[in-house]
This record gives sequence, C-alpha cells and structure tokens, in this order.
Amino acid sequence: MERKELEEQIFEMIFQLYKKDVEELTLETTFADDLGGASVLMVGLVSEIENELDVMIQLQEAAACETIGDLVDKVEEEM
Amino acid sequence: MSILEDLSLRAKEHPMRVAFPEGENEKMMQAAYECAEEGAIHAILVGDSEKLRALASERGLDPEKFAYADLQEEELIADIIAKYTALPDTRLKEKALRRRMADPLYFAMVMQAAGEADVTFAGINYTTEDVLLAGQMIIGLKEGISTVSSIGLCEIPGFAGSEGELLAIGDSAVCANPTEEQLADIAISACETVKELLSWEPRCAFISYSTLGSGQGPLIDKVSAAVKIAQEKRPDLKLDGEFQLDAAIVPAVAAKKVKRESEVAGRANILIWPDLNVGNAGVKLIQILGHADAYGPLLQGFKKIICDCSRSAPVSELKGNIIMSAIRAAHAGEV
Repeated sequence: MERKELEEQIFEMIFQLYKKDVEELTLETTFADDLGGASVLMVGLVSEIENELDVMIQLQEAAACETIGDLVDKVEEEM
Repeated sequence: MSILEDLSLRAKEHPMRVAFPEGENEKMMQAAYECAEEGAIHAILVGDSEKLRALASERGLDPEKFAYADLQEEELIADIIAKYTALPDTRLKEKALRRRMADPLYFAMVMQAAGEADVTFAGINYTTEDVLLAGQMIIGLKEGISTVSSIGLCEIPGFAGSEGELLAIGDSAVCANPTEEQLADIAISACETVKELLSWEPRCAFISYSTLGSGQGPLIDKVSAAVKIAQEKRPDLKLDGEFQLDAAIVPAVAAKKVKRESEVAGRANILIWPDLNVGNAGVKLIQILGHADAYGPLLQGFKKIICDCSRSAPVSELKGNIIMSAIRAAHAGEV
C-alpha cells in the first residue's frame, strides 16, 4: 500500500471514531490536544487498524504516538 | 466473622466461572484450586491444557478440580469467536481476534465476553496496564461510563462508621487525575461496586479540603462540578459533597458543617478522592495509622468483572480478591 493511501485510510478511521472532519485532520494533528486524547477512542482506532489493515499495534505504542503522523509511521513500520 | 469469611459463604451460594489466564503460575493455581475446592467458584485455567494438568499433578493438586480452555482447541475458539462477533459494539473481527487470542489474557476475556466465563482474574505476571488495555479492547466500558477506575474495601479496627468497621474508598489505584466528568463516573461506578459486593445502600461522599463552599479555588471547583454531574446522571443514587473527610464520616462534624439536608454527610460509606495523590496517601494512612486491612483494588467501569491482582500478592490475598470478584459477578445483573 502506498503511503498516501495509508494516510487516507487512517484519516477516515479517525473521522469515523472521533467525529472530526477529514479536512481538519493533518499529519500534525495531535491526539492529546486536538482529538481529546480519549483512550476509549484510541482502543477503537487500534482495533480498526487491526481489522482493516491487518496490522497489530500494541495499545501502549499507539498511546505513545503524539500525532496522527507518528501513528501512520508506526503502522507503516509494521506492514 | 471477618468480612472475607462472610464473603466466602456468599460466594458459595452462586459459584461463578472464573477464567485464569495465568494458571501456570504456582500461586495463582493454588489460589484458584483452593477457591474451587471450597466450592466458592468454578475455576477455568486458560492455556495449554496438557501442560496445566501436568503442573497441577506435580504440585499435588487434583487436575480434575479445574476446567480447561485450551488455546489450540479449534472447536472452542470458533464457538467463542462466533458468539463474540455476534455481540453488539464489539471491536475486533475474526482474524484480529484469532491473533489476539494467542495470548491467554485476551482468550480469557473473549470467553468472558462471549458468556463462557463470568470473571477474568489476572495480574500476577501481566501488568495492570496489560489488564486494563485488554479489558478496554475486549470487554469494553459500561454504557455512560468514561473511565476505568477502582475502589478498595477497608476493614478498620475500632472505626465506628455507618457500616461498622468497613469503608469503601476510591480511586486509590487507577485514574490518576480525573476530569470532573471522570470523577463523577468513578463515584457512580463505586456505588454500583458496593451494591454488587456488599448489598449496601451506597452513600457516596466526594472528598475535598472544603465542605460545601467553605473554601474556594480550582481544586474545589473540580470536585463540586463532579458532584453536580454525578447527581444529574444518577438521581437515584445518594451522591453528595464536596465534603471534608470528617464532615463525610463523623456525624457530629457533619451536624456542625453541613447546614442543609444530606443523606450522605456524616454517614458516608464510600469516599471518593479528588485524585490519585490523595487516594494513594489516603489508603496508606488508613493502613499504617489505622491498622486497617485494605482489600482490592476492585476494578470498575467495565461491562463485566475483571480483576487485576497485585503482582506480589500471597495466596490468601489472591483468594480474597477471587471471591470478591465472583460475588460482584453474581450480583452484577441486579444493580
């Protein structure tokens, strides 16, 4: 999968879970400040990544990602 | 009769199925065995069933006292995955579940969510974080609850509170710096936990260094806002504050400081700390200066009962926590 396609898929998942407009999301968007940092939502995001991209990220690793870009990097590493 | 002896008798009335993902651990196996042999629970060891049976025999325990859930048993795996994925609001699909279920902790929780066990009991090798994260992913949080938290049950010699020597306190272990919404949810969960475990009518006090506006500042504002949120969410529960500790549990002090009607002031049976700094200090003060036994932490906020025991817990403490978890599961549907 191309990096751009991966980014778009993860933006879409965040849009669905966090109810944020895709246009508002960038790779620099932070989970703590811009997305509320809610761990319940992070659990949902990690599950969705696992279901749809077949990549298992540990929740601790995902929670350590400051920005969406960090999470995309992490997923890309594991693919 | 001590509180643990009383709870043990109650557990025997409706023995629950408790899944143990760390059955290979000697202390955990011993505690599970003793609880099962006493008739307090049905113990299910999750892992390599052949190895678990052999370990039980080596340790002088009758392997037939346990049920086994084998990580390689395809028929069982397919059955619980089918049941799990048919549930509303579950997160993982079959492929992801199968991968996670290679880990006994996840296997046990999927079994529990699917209705094949009533409690998951772990924490002797797994960290608290492992248990909490697996619980959030597989079991999920109760409707309307935003955070996992915990309470402890203290048995304080000489304390003459509204429940005699017993007092429930929380959160002293999990949620470090709750928001006002989270603090409200901790209190609501605590009320449900004591109803499940002790059949008390909860009287829950939010603790602060101020009583009903006697002080001012942002630390107090958070607590008083949490009281309002909790009361609005659950008008059926007796939740009140903010109170200083003495106004919460000493009737004479409450009579002086609380100048309005309160069903909680002076006779609270649950104390909710404003944050983990207070909670940690609070439980240690009760233990060291009050010579109290503190049982728990009892995790709360999940849809089903999960227990994370202390990694250094001796067999006796494990048994106490197994029994308390089993009773909560037996009564969870009633609150």
